[in-house]
Amino acid sequence: MRKTLSFTALALAFAGTTALAEPTGTFRQAHEYGFGAQSSLDPISKGRVFQITEKIMSRLVRPDMEGRPAPDLAIEWSANAAATEWTFALREGVMFHDGSSFGAEDVVYSLQRVLDPANDSPARAAIAMIDRVEAVDASTVKLTLSAPFADLPLLLMDYRLRMIPEGSGDTIATTGIGTGPFRLVSFDAEGTTRLAANMDYFEGPPGVAEMEIIGIPDAQARLQALLGGQIDMERGISAQQSVMLSSSDRFNIQMIPTGNWRGLVFRTDVAPFDDVRVRQALRLAADRQAMVDLVMGGGAVVACDTPVGPRDQYRAEINCPQDIDRARALLAEAGFPDGIDIDLHVATLEPTWPVLAEVYQQQAAAAGIRVNIVQVPTDGFWSDVWMQKDAVTTRWNERPADQALNEVYVSTARWNESYYKDPDFDALLAQARQELDFDLRRSLYIKAQEHLWQTAGTLIPYHVTRLVGTSARVGNLDAVENMSVRWHLVTVD
Amino acid sequence: MLAMLVRRLALGVVTVWLVSIIIFIGVEILPGDACTAYLEREAQGLLLENCRRDLGLNRPAMVRYGEWAANALQGNLGVSPDGQRQISELVGYRLRNTLLLASGAMLCGIPLALFLGIVAALWRDRPVDIIVSTTAIAAMTIPEFVSATLLILVFSIWLGWVPGIVLTSPNAPLAEFFPEVFLPIGVLTLVMTAHILRTVRSSVIETLASDYAQMAVLKGVPYWRMVFRHVLPNALLPTINVVALTIAWLLGGVVVIETVFNYPGLGRMMIDSISDRDLPVTQAIALIIASVYVGVNLLADLLTMIANPRLRTAHMRGR
Repeated sequence: MRKTLSFTALALAFAGTTALAEPTGTFRQAHEYGFGAQSSLDPISKGRVFQITEKIMSRLVRPDMEGRPAPDLAIEWSANAAATEWTFALREGVMFHDGSSFGAEDVVYSLQRVLDPANDSPARAAIAMIDRVEAVDASTVKLTLSAPFADLPLLLMDYRLRMIPEGSGDTIATTGIGTGPFRLVSFDAEGTTRLAANMDYFEGPPGVAEMEIIGIPDAQARLQALLGGQIDMERGISAQQSVMLSSSDRFNIQMIPTGNWRGLVFRTDVAPFDDVRVRQALRLAADRQAMVDLVMGGGAVVACDTPVGPRDQYRAEINCPQDIDRARALLAEAGFPDGIDIDLHVATLEPTWPVLAEVYQQQAAAAGIRVNIVQVPTDGFWSDVWMQKDAVTTRWNERPADQALNEVYVSTARWNESYYKDPDFDALLAQARQELDFDLRRSLYIKAQEHLWQTAGTLIPYHVTRLVGTSARVGNLDAVENMSVRWHLVTVD
Repeated sequence: MLAMLVRRLALGVVTVWLVSIIIFIGVEILPGDACTAYLEREAQGLLLENCRRDLGLNRPAMVRYGEWAANALQGNLGVSPDGQRQISELVGYRLRNTLLLASGAMLCGIPLALFLGIVAALWRDRPVDIIVSTTAIAAMTIPEFVSATLLILVFSIWLGWVPGIVLTSPNAPLAEFFPEVFLPIGVLTLVMTAHILRTVRSSVIETLASDYAQMAVLKGVPYWRMVFRHVLPNALLPTINVVALTIAWLLGGVVVIETVFNYPGLGRMMIDSISDRDLPVTQAIALIIASVYVGVNLLADLLTMIANPRLRTAHMRGR
């Protein structure tokens, strides 16, 4: 009898909470304080703390759980036949945290701010094809592109392209006013930044009442804070560390396949890598599954030198087993019957690089590729080593397929780290951008990736699977990358 | 005495000045600069040029050092990279936090070390000495980051008594650092107690074996009177210097502890500022740490001199 009673009480209590839907509790997470004193709430500045901006500001378009464009502040969109003019209908009745209402002028302002060269925004490259941004009426904006681009909504999902109030550019770095599910209470990048539930959020009040985003630069300290119950979530746990969490029922682990990749870059403009056969040999010598197991403890998805992530709708499925004999034959054909010597420059900037380099060294040796690992300092790696030395390690975060291919491989790309110049590849990408038919467009992007597998100078062995550790009190956290998580749904007990 | 004081102070100023030059050169030699550290992959072309121009990094190193030194002499340590706050203010909070850590460790550690050291020496080679000495050696040899991690594991993760990681903002009121500050203080106490304890122990043993202590025993002076009246005052003199060195180490050398515990003190700020190539902050901290070293050592010498009549008279005679 008592049992039934308490059960009923519990059920009632449950019904009560769902009916009220009052935000409760505090969700705490850390950020790495990577930009030190330059940390900022300006979403388009280099020092943006995205762990904060993603919760207080909204985009026009956001990724759904499958990574496809879904409405955020824009509720629907359409393009003209040539894919050069895009019209976005905006959500009406949305309020910024300061009480002002959101409208087309704010979108125009926010996007133009990114495009203005004077602002030096790193996000500009992503949407450089936008030529003009106009407000058609209070809740409609029109974007005019300099070249046809069929997947513009994909690019607008970029985690930096968040909408801020018109004219707030000079103050946004500290006020953080947006339309997101949480509003800023106090900003302290070095210590604890406090957010409170935005009860007027356009998708309803969020699940938790407060969020605390805490600066903890040291990765080990972040893990300890999670273990000690001082934070509720840590994203990017290593395979070794996850053992500690998975053995306890106080924690949960999410495994999230991402488009983040690590790799080795061989400059295609210098000998011997200017010979496509040598490049093929270098990449055929890799046993990618072994790399996934040895370097990542199994926490990665094999890639065949495509930068496009495993969950991306444009990902090409290529088969690329290790082929030592073919690698040897290709080297001999290219005039290196005795193999080649390579100086591979590696820093500890990315902790897995040295391991990746050593595994590759062992694997490639079988094909007569003698890899000499050159240790270089982490400081100054991006300016003095990367894009300077002939063979280096690299890493990139997830990008939509078009961006991933364009930013790193197109002849004119600023970040063309392998100095890859291939008119056929450029043409494939340009064609894909104009193609309005999804299936045709997809086949073009796949062709472009297959072309890379044939010719590229970049060895991309895998895409990293992100391990997210949460305390057991966290509920309803979408098992997707940061940029797709619907933070307003998260709850804590 | 006064002349010596003045001379030592002057030497101290020269030392601090030399340290500032060495630090400046050191940071200059490291690959990359403040702009490449901040811009990472975007450190190319116009962005890089603009950044270097804004921070004045395109001028010769000599000019920049001269400018910094001139400002520093006037007490102006510069502003933070965002131009919002005075570095002296930022560093001030960190210094306060490190002082909290250091004074906590000293308050616990020094009395504990003296007590245990004396006990170990008086009961030399007995079980109590063996336990104390072995523990001390263990505490000294285990690296701080290991003992820190172990303490976090036991007291924060298993027992859940105290928070393991410090989450308080650097400029929060001191009271907010409790109870987070207990574990870092515990680790520091562990290490410094071991160091001081061993000096105290050997010094007491040495004094116990000295002629005058033996004589006192032969003359029939009661044991405890001999210990307190003749042995301890003489034995504890050398420990003053060890304590002074330990204090200096506490202020400058707690980098590892502060990183492990995420404690917002001088040490962590030093690490951050070096990796950001934030020269003004690095310099300001180096100045503070160097001054503390010089000052504490000077103080220790003075104290030893005052406490030891022989040194005093020897000095007088020398004049």
